Amino acid sequence: MRRPRKSCPVCESGVRVLDYKDERTLSRFLTERGKIIPARLSGMCARHQRQLGRAIKRARHLALVPFIRGYGR
Amino acid sequence: MIRPYELVYIFESALEEAQINERLDKFHSLLKTPESPEPVTSLAHWGKRTLSYPIKGKEVGYYVVAQFESQPESLGELERALKLDESVLRYLIVLNEDLAPVGAAEGEGSSEAGTEEKKEEGE
Repeated sequence: MRRPRKSCPVCESGVRVLDYKDERTLSRFLTERGKIIPARLSGMCARHQRQLGRAIKRARHLALVPFIRGYGR
Repeated sequence: MIRPYELVYIFESALEEAQINERLDKFHSLLKTPESPEPVTSLAHWGKRTLSYPIKGKEVGYYVVAQFESQPESLGELERALKLDESVLRYLIVLNEDLAPVGAAEGEGSSEAGTEEKKEEGE
């Protein structure tokens, strides 16, 4: 039996474009170590998962979100 | 062709507000051209924030977000100035996709209303 498809949490919230400056939202899709949660687990649609990856990488560059949480601190 | 951009600065937190404004004026003056005397469309000071990881040995940075419109050709000069300035810990220049003209950056279908939203018939 196939599990029914999880619905995309970003589509449901009505956001069209993920903003790299909004680290509160981005951190919902990061593990406690700061890795990006795969769409397989979060149920994210492909478009938003692509946007998420780009947004998180930008946010990491700006030190809004860590590359690795808990490293060296 | 004029395109919308967004620029995030992270300044050293030791700078005074006036010194930051002075530097912002300097950078933004590089974008001014005779055709567009007022390139910066919006400017927001986020103020001091703790960095998620140290940059150049600093734990705190002063964030400023600016949106501007410019020719792509004039970005090189701006980037050079940003890299030379020691008080800029980090910067990011990206195309502002929210405002980008349709069909310019992404090959998106023009009609993307919530077509896939409501599909819950039958049990």
